[in-house]
Amino acid sequence: MWHASAPRTSGMVGLSLGEKHFIQGGIAHDLRCDGRKRLTYRRISVETGVIPHANGSAQVRIGGTDVIASIKAELGKPSLLQPDKGKVSIYIDCSSTAEPAFEGRGGNELAAELSIALQRCLLGGKSGAGAGIDLSSLIVVEGKICWDLYIDGLVVSSDGNLLDALGAAIKAALCNTGIPRVQVAAGTSNDEQPEVDVSDEEFLQFDTSGVPVIVTLTKVGRHYIVDATSEEESQMSSAVSISVNRQGHICGMTKRGGVGLDPSIILDMISVAQHVSAQLINKLDSEIASAEAEEET
Amino acid sequence: MAGKGGATPATYSPSPTTDKQKPALFKEDWVRPDGRGFHQCRPAFFRTGAVNAASGSAYAEFGNTKVIVSVFGPRESKKAMMYSDIGRLNCNVSFTTFATPVRGQGSDHNEYSAMLHKALEGGIILESFPKTTVDVFALVLESSGSDLPVVISCASLALADAGIMMYDLVASVSVSSFSKNLVIDPVLEEENCQDGSLMITCMPSRYEITQLTVTGEWSSPKINEGMQLCLDACAKLAKIMRSCLKEAASDSKE
Repeated sequence: MWHASAPRTSGMVGLSLGEKHFIQGGIAHDLRCDGRKRLTYRRISVETGVIPHANGSAQVRIGGTDVIASIKAELGKPSLLQPDKGKVSIYIDCSSTAEPAFEGRGGNELAAELSIALQRCLLGGKSGAGAGIDLSSLIVVEGKICWDLYIDGLVVSSDGNLLDALGAAIKAALCNTGIPRVQVAAGTSNDEQPEVDVSDEEFLQFDTSGVPVIVTLTKVGRHYIVDATSEEESQMSSAVSISVNRQGHICGMTKRGGVGLDPSIILDMISVAQHVSAQLINKLDSEIASAEAEEET
Repeated sequence: MAGKGGATPATYSPSPTTDKQKPALFKEDWVRPDGRGFHQCRPAFFRTGAVNAASGSAYAEFGNTKVIVSVFGPRESKKAMMYSDIGRLNCNVSFTTFATPVRGQGSDHNEYSAMLHKALEGGIILESFPKTTVDVFALVLESSGSDLPVVISCASLALADAGIMMYDLVASVSVSSFSKNLVIDPVLEEENCQDGSLMITCMPSRYEITQLTVTGEWSSPKINEGMQLCLDACAKLAKIMRSCLKEAASDSKE
């Protein structure tokens, strides 16, 4: 597969020179086109349990961006290298209904980029430290049976800031996920594959307190903004996505865009992201809680 | 062959080696597998002009990590490509089948290809070759930790060898974190049990970061320390790369 430098961001949004100046000037004056300040989010709405076939699911809308995350759990075998851990895989699909440019293989490159960024931000280091999802909680019988968690994200409609939206949707879906309780038949010897009984009534909830949120800071001109729309993204020089957990620790970081950044700016961005994420986590948590309450009634 | 005491060799039977030899990474007296200090990089070796057919190429060796990169072009973009008034950069990273301890597929590595592209595009003056494409093909001959940083550094050297205009050489270094310790330029054994990693790609003369990735949990002071370590190491690495280029240039004059 090739990675050619297609002018993706500039090609999709057709803006006149005047509009470009308007966006850039607005950001420089801390008053963006939709009236927001540089560090203000658009309205976030969360709906959980949108997909009945999944173990957990959520739909997150941030302004015009609309994404769905679904989580399916299947019993599988742990890998030989890590017999005490379950497996998690994250796949993102950029539907061509969201944008004509995603048609056919057009969305593949963006989808791969988003999947990798989310894996990096949510799954922690090789040893499992700092992971948002505790992989050792997915084990049923060590070395024999574990839960395989399939996290699938779908971009329904795209108006910028996809990574943050997907991160929030996955967080909400994880809160919504119930893993069936498994009874392991006693008395099987060491060599045999143990028999299990998967309950369809009792479900266990995940501990989602460690799941980080992702804050993408998009640099336009000399300033950077959160929650950029696709028009604003087309004017970016570079963007840094930082995932931060409740403790304010960095859980992952990726950079997009070809233009380099001064190290001091990156450190500045990190401290801004830590500040912004605290508000975002609170906002998301209350949205998720009300969505869960609404689903139950 | 261990012919112990001339006894008849016993029939081979796979022994249940359950005693997992986890390196004592959290002890105070831990030494790295190759005996380096925590903040000491492996000796780097670079050589340009490894492939004759390419416009430019470079070979890099960091300990056991061995990488070869060739650069082709700038040449005409494929017909299907749209017109573009800036040049295109095409990156591909692949592994040989024998690069990893377990025999691999030897296939392309999409994640690394994308990362290499993102790391290099900020350093290249794409405006200098409109309508054309530069292909960067990297082959990891032997993978032994810090593969991607070595590929990136080697690729920027190959680009310089090919005479592609760049703002600066792009150097890349990664650090691994183990609870409280930071270990620079990790080898494979260390990467497999690291708590987190930080990779920085920068242009040292411009003091500009073109790419960075972080995994695992990091506190702010730790990320500060890690970035500083990487930036210092990148500056040193770029000096080595530059001297390699100068050497090659003075050799060709003679």
